[in-house]
Amino acid sequence: MRLGNWLKRRATDVNAPQHSQYVIIGAGAAGMAAAHAIRRIDKGGGITVLSQESDTPYFRPMIPYLVSNQKRPNQMAMAGHGPFDQPNIDILTNTKVVAVDSANRQIALAGGGRMGYEKVLFATGSRPYVPPEINGIDTPGVFAPRTLADARAMAARAARTRQAVMLGGGLLNLKTAFALLKRGIAVTLVVHSPEVLSQLMDPADAALIRKALIDAGLVIQTGVAATDIQADPAGVVGVALSDGSHLSCQMISIGKGVRPCVDFLQRSGIQIADGIVTDRHTACNMPNAFAAGDVAVSFDPVSGRPMSTALWTHAIEMGRCAGLNMVGVKTAYSGTFGILNATQVADLPFVSMGTVHTAGQDYEIHRKSSANTYHKLVFDAEGTRLIGAVLVGDITHAGLYRSLIRDQMDITGRKRHIIDRSLHYGHFIGNAKFT
Amino acid sequence: MNQPKEIFVKTSRCMGCHACTIACAVEHSQSKTLFGALAEQPRPVSRIYVEWACPDIKVPIVCRQCEDAPCMHACISGAISRDANGVVMTNADRCIGCWTCVMVCPYGVIGRRLEQRKAYRCDRCPDRDIPACVDACPTGALVFQTVPEYSATARRHASRELAQAEGN
Repeated sequence: MRLGNWLKRRATDVNAPQHSQYVIIGAGAAGMAAAHAIRRIDKGGGITVLSQESDTPYFRPMIPYLVSNQKRPNQMAMAGHGPFDQPNIDILTNTKVVAVDSANRQIALAGGGRMGYEKVLFATGSRPYVPPEINGIDTPGVFAPRTLADARAMAARAARTRQAVMLGGGLLNLKTAFALLKRGIAVTLVVHSPEVLSQLMDPADAALIRKALIDAGLVIQTGVAATDIQADPAGVVGVALSDGSHLSCQMISIGKGVRPCVDFLQRSGIQIADGIVTDRHTACNMPNAFAAGDVAVSFDPVSGRPMSTALWTHAIEMGRCAGLNMVGVKTAYSGTFGILNATQVADLPFVSMGTVHTAGQDYEIHRKSSANTYHKLVFDAEGTRLIGAVLVGDITHAGLYRSLIRDQMDITGRKRHIIDRSLHYGHFIGNAKFT
Repeated sequence: MNQPKEIFVKTSRCMGCHACTIACAVEHSQSKTLFGALAEQPRPVSRIYVEWACPDIKVPIVCRQCEDAPCMHACISGAISRDANGVVMTNADRCIGCWTCVMVCPYGVIGRRLEQRKAYRCDRCPDRDIPACVDACPTGALVFQTVPEYSATARRHASRELAQAEGN
């Protein structure tokens, strides 16, 4: 970090615009992946990453581990870990971008500063969606965790929390729920959908996971929504639900999905449709501007349809791709599935990827289950291509299945192995036969 | 030239004896002896896998140390990095068992300890000159060489076969 230099430059002439060859707005997965991809090729060009947060870049999916006290912030830091090993990347924290002037290749910062760029990447990510119809959402003790700062506040509140209510049954809220359970807090999961993880699988596919969640101590209420949050001077004391019932709690966590952070692009001329519209090379509609991660609209490689996701793997891959394009190595992005998730709840690992919501659709579906495993493999209507998979309990060779889906491989001849889950890489060796 | 050595697999030579998998598990045990390893808990496991495909092909599968390692980039905790020898390593202390690496590895060579929530993988036997699996292979199906060495051998074999086919 060369914050000192930047401050010095600022101090000499506050009004003179700063300049960096590569300006990256957002220091999450996409922004940092891009910065390091650029630095691997361009050893000299200035790279400046601007972050609204006060923390230096960290692995965002790890924040529940701060809530559970299992990790400290320095154990989640990106710098020097994994692929984030490149030097000389300037990180400016507490720096908010308020406008972009793409004609003059400048960005405006909150507080009046400006910064010029040769190439800019919009990697501002997303923010939690907070349902406006719930009364009392601003009450202390109500969280929609997204940042390390949120997790810190949550961890502090957890110290005086006996009961917590999670609104929304998505993956982040489940991970947060487990973090709170670890701290001895009684946790109730309130889900409007008929089942948990409804974004990642059909209700019928979630039976094993639901059982694992209940066995782990989570109380689950499906088909209800929160209506009113009740408070005393110390913050939240309970929540009223749509079925007329009431839950006492000292903490509420909202996990209702996210929305892209695009406010700073008003009047910039950058095309926005739910997120920033990008072409196959991660470029925006204005020159020298790129977008990656949650904020960008890319496409589904199977259907070709526009696709926004809030997936870590997608943000990393698209960020790296954008970085290469910014440095002049023209690289097509391979697109992303809307669903590409792996995790473990209690002792149950699972992976969900590709097209997994099949109710009422004309797909060929094969299910296989045992006491501790559940597999659902989704083929297209012709039955010649794998388009989705839910693997619960046994995720062996999940990556191979992902390759089949992504590459839209003709699986004729290998289908039996896919359905009975005996497929392995050896089946793709030159002279292997498929019987 | 300072080329790192790689583990090459000659499927035509593999007879499926699993000497590699046993040697790997023993090497990654605490006692580093077969009988000691058998008694250990958790039970030592192999990082190399021998699969079978029709008509009768045995395929040893081991981490390819991918140049653009998808596992390393996908890891959500920064647990996977490449060391100075080009070996992609999983740092068990940082691993949180989210299995994102498993979801993106096309070879299926990342193992899982579900209770400990730790992924494990080939580490190229850092304490040995030759990896245990290669050392144990009785048929030369596993070869530990640099890319130029291996391709030179392959070229020599090919030209010899060509010469023989032409009757010289």
